[in-house]
Order: sequence, then C-alpha cells, then structure tokens
Amino acid sequence: MNKSGSKIDTKLLSSRIKNIQLLSAQSLYNKHPHAIKLLASVGVKPGKIREHATKLLTSGAIAGSLLLSSPQTGLIPDQTPSSAIVQTKSEVTKSLSNQLSQILPTKLSPLSEEQETKISHLLFDIFGITAVPQLGSTRLNQTYGLIGAEQHLPRYPGDSISQHDEYQKSGITPGLGAWGYFARSKQDLTPEDVQKEKYYVAVQTLYLPDWNIRTRYLYDWYKHRKVVVVNPKNGKTVVAVVADAGPANWTGKHFGGSPEVMAYLNLNVGMQKGEVVMFFVDDPEKVVSLGPLEYNSDKEK
Amino acid sequence: MTKIFYDHLIEIEEITIKIDSHGMEAEEKKEILSLVDETLHHHTLKVILDNLSFSKHEEFLHKFHQNPLDPDLLEFLKKEVEVDIEKIIRSESKKVKQNILKEIEKALVP
Repeated sequence: MNKSGSKIDTKLLSSRIKNIQLLSAQSLYNKHPHAIKLLASVGVKPGKIREHATKLLTSGAIAGSLLLSSPQTGLIPDQTPSSAIVQTKSEVTKSLSNQLSQILPTKLSPLSEEQETKISHLLFDIFGITAVPQLGSTRLNQTYGLIGAEQHLPRYPGDSISQHDEYQKSGITPGLGAWGYFARSKQDLTPEDVQKEKYYVAVQTLYLPDWNIRTRYLYDWYKHRKVVVVNPKNGKTVVAVVADAGPANWTGKHFGGSPEVMAYLNLNVGMQKGEVVMFFVDDPEKVVSLGPLEYNSDKEK
Repeated sequence: MTKIFYDHLIEIEEITIKIDSHGMEAEEKKEILSLVDETLHHHTLKVILDNLSFSKHEEFLHKFHQNPLDPDLLEFLKKEVEVDIEKIIRSESKKVKQNILKEIEKALVP
C-alpha cells in the first residue's frame, strides 16, 4: 500500500523519463561530440559511468589505472559513432512516436493551436529544425491528415520511369506536376532537382480558402516549399518539397507522397496510405537537406 | 552503490523518496531510477565540459574514465574552472530533478 493513496502510471512515467534521458544524451552529444567519441573509444557510455566505475572497482583496476599514463588517443578519434549513439538515433524515432501519441487526437481530426505548438517544440527539440504549421500568412488546410502514394513525376521533357533510380514499379505520371518540370532538359537537371523529385509531396492548394483570391502569390509561394512529414506511428520523419497539387477531396486523403517519401515512412505497403503530420520548415538559409531526418547530430540546439 | 565523484552534489534521494511514497514494483522503480541516473550523468558531464576549457577536456576525460570515483577530479575542476563548479553542478542538477519530479506528479493516477 502506498503512503499517499495515489498510484503512478509507471508506463507513462517510464516513457516520459526515457524521453528526458534521450534528450539529455542528445544534448551532450550535440555540444560535445568529441567527448562522447573519446569515451566510446575506451568503451564507456556517459550515462553508464556508474556501471563502468563498479566494474573498475570489482576488477581492482582503479588503483592500478592511477599509475598508468593517459593513453595517446586523439581528442577526436576518427571512427564510427559508438553503439550508444547509434542506439540513441534509433530510439529517438520511438521517443518521437511516443510523444506524438500523447499530443495527437485519438481520431484523425484538425489539430488545435496548442497541439501544433507542442509538435513544433518537439520537432525543434529532437531535430533542431523550425517546423511550423503557418509561415507568415500562409498555412496548410490540414497539418494532420492522410497521405497517399503518388507516382514519380517527370523531371524534364522526355523523362521516363527507367531513368529514375528507385521504385520504378510506382510508375510515372502521364502529366506534369502542378509546378511543371524540375529542369528544362536532362542536361540541366541538377542533383538538387533529383532530390526534389525523390522527396516531394502533393498538398491541397486547390482547396486553400484564399487560393482564388491570391492565386499567383500562393502559386509561387508553394512551389518547392519545404515541409517536414512525420509518421506518428513509427516516428519516421522526412523533409520534402511541395511539387504537386492534390489529392482531390473525394479520395479522403489530404496529402500525396512520392515513392521515396512513402517508402521511408513505411507507408508503401498495403493500402499505401497513412496518417502523417505535415508542417512547413522555416529554412531561409537552406540548411535543412531533403530526405530522411531521424536524428540531427550535426546541429547544436 | 558506487559513488561518482560528483554524486554528493546531485543527491537523487528526493526522487527516490517521491517514488517510494507512491508505491511501485521493485523492477519498475529500478528502471525509472536507472533512467534518472543516466539523465543526471549526461547533464553533469555536459555542465562540466561547458565550463571547462576545451584544451582541458581530453585530460579530464582520461582521468574521469580511469577512475570516476576519484575525489581529485573535483579538485582538478576547481583548479581549472573559473566559476564555482560545485555550485553550478548543484543548481543544474536541481533543475533536472525538479523537471523529473514534475513528470512524476503528471504520472499520478488519482
């Protein structure tokens, strides 16, 4: 019998403290990666320093080690990240999924301002990116909705499915994306254009309430606008650009995703659709790369 | 439990008492306290490195992994860090503990 009369939801507490622990590991790594690497090079995980100390004590190594000179290890060893960091990377997606489940409504429905703010903070904390539901005066109709699989888009006149390196079975649309080709010719196609077609989404610009009032402005504004897409079921997160309009309301879907986006989100199976959170990425300096965004270890918060 | 050289500045008893007062299976308590412990190690190491000159990081980290219990580590930090490192470790760990205590409150089932 406990002394206070109230019980702790241990599952909830464990999940929340696990998240705090992951963020603390991430914060340490972001700020002092050299320290983590140095400790990893001698088999020590910072969070497990007590276990390490116990091992040293029981093996009698502590007294002896004081007599040894420091090993000649460089401050920033050139080696792959420690297993501790790799583990943290994979656990971050689980943590994100856990936390989103506590913010998102149980049934698919529009998010409140408070829910959107919490998600923005969460994405900033975890990935160091500024992801927002609204940029200036522009916002999507939906920030939490159903995404469906799209085909590849023609990148230049004459492009065909055989020239796309992955997911050829998805096919290529007979028409152009809403913003036309990515390049004027195959010769003009840049690696950046290739990435844009790989990681693109379709959004329902046609249903924006002000679409008919300021069409030209919005058309330009949305062209290749960077967004972040999160599958709340598994925490998988990808940065993409808006490159097509749709889908139509009657489909019951709110967004479309390129074959690469859907595959990364693990939504390219079964009905090839699923719930996602989609926010704009505020990235005026163009530092956020397109593609999977599991764990941003290069940026400091 | 093995004592790390900064343990006396952190003191997680507050959290242990809080958890004990609400009853919890031994295994669950062990898991939660292990996560708390890891969190505090991450924070404390970050606080130390934030305040220690970069040129001294390698020396400190070697000493630290060779003997995390060594009280001389604190003496080393006091000598090398310009600010009151004990005070900073105390105050920063207090913030983390308060955050964790809040999480425990949020997880209470009436």
